[in-house]
Amino acid sequence: MTQQVSPQAFALRGVSKAFRYFKLENLSLELPLGQILGLVGPNGAGKSTTIRLLMGLMTAETGSIEVLGHRVPEQVAAAKAGVAFVSDDMRLFSGATLAWHMRFVASIYPEWDEAYARTLLKHFNLRAEQGVKGLSRGEHIKSMLLLALARRPRLLILDEPTSGLDPVARHELLTELMQIVRDESRSILFSSHNTLDVERICDQIAFIDRGRLVDARDKESFLDRWRRISLDVPSGVTLPRLKDVVNLTLGEQLATLTTDRYEPALDAVLQASGARITDVQRMSLEEIFVASVMRSRAEVQS
Amino acid sequence: MKSSVFWALVRKDIYVLRGFMIITVAVGLAALVGMRFGRIGFAIGGILFLTANVAGGIFIAMYSLLTERKEQSNLFALSLPISGFKYDLAKLVSGYVGYGIPWSVLTAIGLAGYFMPYAAADRGMFVYGLVLQLFVMALFSFVLVWLFVVASEVLAGLVILISNICFSLFMVTLNQPEVTRPLHSPHIVWTPFALWAIAGELAVIALSTALALFALSRRRDHLRSL
Repeated sequence: MTQQVSPQAFALRGVSKAFRYFKLENLSLELPLGQILGLVGPNGAGKSTTIRLLMGLMTAETGSIEVLGHRVPEQVAAAKAGVAFVSDDMRLFSGATLAWHMRFVASIYPEWDEAYARTLLKHFNLRAEQGVKGLSRGEHIKSMLLLALARRPRLLILDEPTSGLDPVARHELLTELMQIVRDESRSILFSSHNTLDVERICDQIAFIDRGRLVDARDKESFLDRWRRISLDVPSGVTLPRLKDVVNLTLGEQLATLTTDRYEPALDAVLQASGARITDVQRMSLEEIFVASVMRSRAEVQS
Repeated sequence: MKSSVFWALVRKDIYVLRGFMIITVAVGLAALVGMRFGRIGFAIGGILFLTANVAGGIFIAMYSLLTERKEQSNLFALSLPISGFKYDLAKLVSGYVGYGIPWSVLTAIGLAGYFMPYAAADRGMFVYGLVLQLFVMALFSFVLVWLFVVASEVLAGLVILISNICFSLFMVTLNQPEVTRPLHSPHIVWTPFALWAIAGELAVIALSTALALFALSRRRDHLRSL
């Protein structure tokens, strides 16, 4: 099966999908090859729907989807030949062992790496002969990850993969993922509401909420642009109206200002108004995510 | 691709269903043996043979489709390089193969019994056996197809309930004296009832399969849960 060369691991353009109580609206999102994209959103935001559309499990009502140079759903089988997908709510066949699943997946994928599979088996402390029914939740997820990783996919799609894992297994998985993308032709879409995991491994980040893409850019520019500024505002001083202020909390004399376009020049503008800057803090990804979502919801309501 | 994903999924289903297939054949064969031990043995064996056939079909259809949806292992299968339509088609094929093998074994051995010397006086009942076995296959097709189409546990239960009612009604009809009397003969007689019944059963099998293919070809979202 020949695969077309595409600069993107995937591209969604203007994709919409409506359900009875939920609508994914006009979603456009791309992942360049060799990058890890963190898709972050609260429960019910549309992360799993986005992934299911990418995997051709559902059909979009509008827009276009391309995965590894193949149109989805028209060429979904060819697209999925280079994709491995693991989801929190996915299960293996209960009547079989992990060894059976390994043979099953190996029979389908020419890229199956048996030596790597054996390494992962040890690494994840799994027993190949164990029946799937007897696996714990964490072991089940690790088994699915083994089956996904050992087929050496060009695009790895992980939907909440760390949710059932203990901290050690989570650390092992994230380290493994970072190893995978050392090969620049491999890409990962990592969906999670755990911003710590996303901040640790992702190059690109997309926030999604209530079926809408809130923001998407590379991680560094997220972290560089967002600041929380604490101000001492003497009485009689009025803060200037700034367009890039996401949130402003005013106390009696203290104010906290959150901006998503921080530049040192902003300090000068604030100080010129008579306010005194007491602290300028970088924000964590979680704080940025919450602030972005709250702003997006306010914009939608207004 | 090293091997066809379609056939890998069919083989997987046969592997998963092997227990039901073996039990269906074993119980059916034991029932056929039991039917040779007098009137009581014939009655008990006959009931057991029908139960193995009908229940085997329902278990195979349910386990093949509903368990995979319920356990969400269909998400794993759909992550493989196969289109949603072909995945559904693989389920349909494996359902027919998974039930077709034990059904064929039991039908062939059961009907072969009418050609044994000890059954010479009632050889005409071969037609009765054929009508009955084809009805069982038609019933399986009906259940399999509707389990494909419905998306709730309640509706799945309703399909099985309807199939049980159909089976009871059919048995009452088939065992009417005017239907069975001409068949109690040393010669095979194709009565009009038998011919119409066989035609109807083959039509149900064909229509069920066609309906399944039509429904699958129109399906846009292949991830069904139950």
